[in-house]
Amino acid sequence: MKTLVVGLGNPILGDDGVGWKVAEKVYLQLSPDQSIIVDCLSLGGISLMEHLIGYDRAILIDAFAADEDLGSIHVMKLNDMPDYSAYHISSAHDTSLQNAIEMGRSLGAYLPEDIMVVGIATHRIYDFSEALSPPVVEAVPQAVKIVLELVQQNVMAR
Amino acid sequence: MQRISIDPITRLEGHGKIEIFLDEQGNVANTYFQIPELRGFERFVVGRPIEEMPLITNRICGVCPEAHHMAASKAADAVYKVDPPRAAKMLRELLYSAFYCTDHTTHFYALGGPDFVMGPDAPVAERNILGVIHKVGLEIGGKVIQMRKYGHTVVEMIGGRKVHPCTSIPGGMTKGITEEQRQEIETMGRWAIEFAQFSLKLFNDIVLGNKGYVDLILGDVYTHHTYYMGMVDENNKVNFYDGKVRVVDPNGKEFVKYAPQDYAEHIAEHVEPWTYLKFPYLKKVGWKGFVDGIDSGVYMATPLSRLNASDGMATPLAQEQYEKFYATLGGKPVHQRLATHWARLIELLYAAERWVELVTDPEITSANIHTKPTQIPTEGIGIVEAPRGTLTHHYWTDERGVVTKANLIVGTTNNYAPIQMSTHKAATSLIKNGNVTEGLLNMVEMAFRAYDPCFGCATHSLPGQMPLEITIRDVDGNPVEVLKQFC
Repeated sequence: MKTLVVGLGNPILGDDGVGWKVAEKVYLQLSPDQSIIVDCLSLGGISLMEHLIGYDRAILIDAFAADEDLGSIHVMKLNDMPDYSAYHISSAHDTSLQNAIEMGRSLGAYLPEDIMVVGIATHRIYDFSEALSPPVVEAVPQAVKIVLELVQQNVMAR
Repeated sequence: MQRISIDPITRLEGHGKIEIFLDEQGNVANTYFQIPELRGFERFVVGRPIEEMPLITNRICGVCPEAHHMAASKAADAVYKVDPPRAAKMLRELLYSAFYCTDHTTHFYALGGPDFVMGPDAPVAERNILGVIHKVGLEIGGKVIQMRKYGHTVVEMIGGRKVHPCTSIPGGMTKGITEEQRQEIETMGRWAIEFAQFSLKLFNDIVLGNKGYVDLILGDVYTHHTYYMGMVDENNKVNFYDGKVRVVDPNGKEFVKYAPQDYAEHIAEHVEPWTYLKFPYLKKVGWKGFVDGIDSGVYMATPLSRLNASDGMATPLAQEQYEKFYATLGGKPVHQRLATHWARLIELLYAAERWVELVTDPEITSANIHTKPTQIPTEGIGIVEAPRGTLTHHYWTDERGVVTKANLIVGTTNNYAPIQMSTHKAATSLIKNGNVTEGLLNMVEMAFRAYDPCFGCATHSLPGQMPLEITIRDVDGNPVEVLKQFC
């Protein structure tokens, strides 16, 4: 079973880079295993879907824009997340990931059924900085632990 | 007074929303379009070596990192006063042409196209790329993905990485391409030409063959008479990578043609108290407000304006389409903003042809791809045409090449005033006597979608959506109705 772990975000936009930080630490703690690939990307929608092609499952780590305590962690299935776009564009430049996956599947691409999302609540994502806010820094070890546990699960909940 | 608020990004106060104020009769009095600004870039780059700018600035944006990579590389060349060898410039432009094919393809099929293929009144659930695939056929989706794949492959081959290229440095490139790679890139480029022609035929059949769509494009709602900006080569033909910036007036007459280093003589920025972002305008015409006409310094920098600002396309097939474009739409310049979608497809064809032109140049596999900088670094400006408009990078350094100051004018910023005007006009045409039509959201969206604006680069954080919210407020400012959709 091929698994892709992706840190999403922009590493120079403050807390938006938390997905990368978590993914980098996950990579260092994983024993070498050709069936588990760890990557860091600043993409969404169609571009992200293109990276998921060929994997059996995927774990996405991203900043979560929410009015909650900084650093709180949410784990959810992509299928359970609301497709806010209602099949419409999700940004000025792309489709939602759910929409893109449906498009990929309709074109015959092999895409993971199991896509888990680990979101870390952030607020400060419009300021150029390579540093995370202290509460977000503190959330990183716990997020790493969650991702490693997800990676180890042989069969993910559907 | 009623107040209508369209809020694309609700999660941070003061960022990215449209507010429409109605007068006592319920008609539009004012419209304000606020774009979020990413803060602190200058502070972020000060103290870093200029060589890092092509790598760091391509992280500004996940949509067009290649454009920032190229503008920063050209600015870094200028800082070191070094002229890269011809092969290095061609490699950069080849990478950039492939990127353009990817970017323009995505915009047409995923964003702009659905309004025309499905129709502007189609349900939201169908007005997207999935709807296009279902209506026109699976083959279309396969071609779109293939075009994107080829574009990514060329960027990776030349740029060293699939998404954020890293091979342009002051004085040229760190690596070239082999003859084997050249042949592969040529094959992909020839396919891209066919794909671009296919896309133009699709546009011709579906859009131009439909009188309703042609009337929509030519209608007054989406028309503004402004100045137009675009980069041109020595023959005044469109060029994305290099040349001079040419501006034509609303009658199509050349107003100015300037070299990158002179941009500050021609571009000034107007400040409004209600938005973080500044409004660039033509300094020698002056700021007269958000108004059309030859006396207003408002200019536009988009695919449509690049065609308007040029005397043609430098490649034969794109030139044919350029001539057809102006013959169909009534001559130069074309002021109808929705024609930008057609102009974008003509640029797609040009980019594909240029791709093949560059990769078949005998010098493209040359090993001479870097000129070693020997001068003391000082200050430099680099300009390229990003898909969304003219992109200017300006850096000042100390004698060690450490950045002391930076200034960027990005594609969307050029178009801030025209987008504001188009949004206002769309709202004005739709809201009469307090009645907000159901089509308002999409008609307003269509007004700014033609410009392909880039709101910011953090929008991929979860939930990764850009909700549009219209809040209609009564005379006391209290909300009486909220319309919401995600776009």
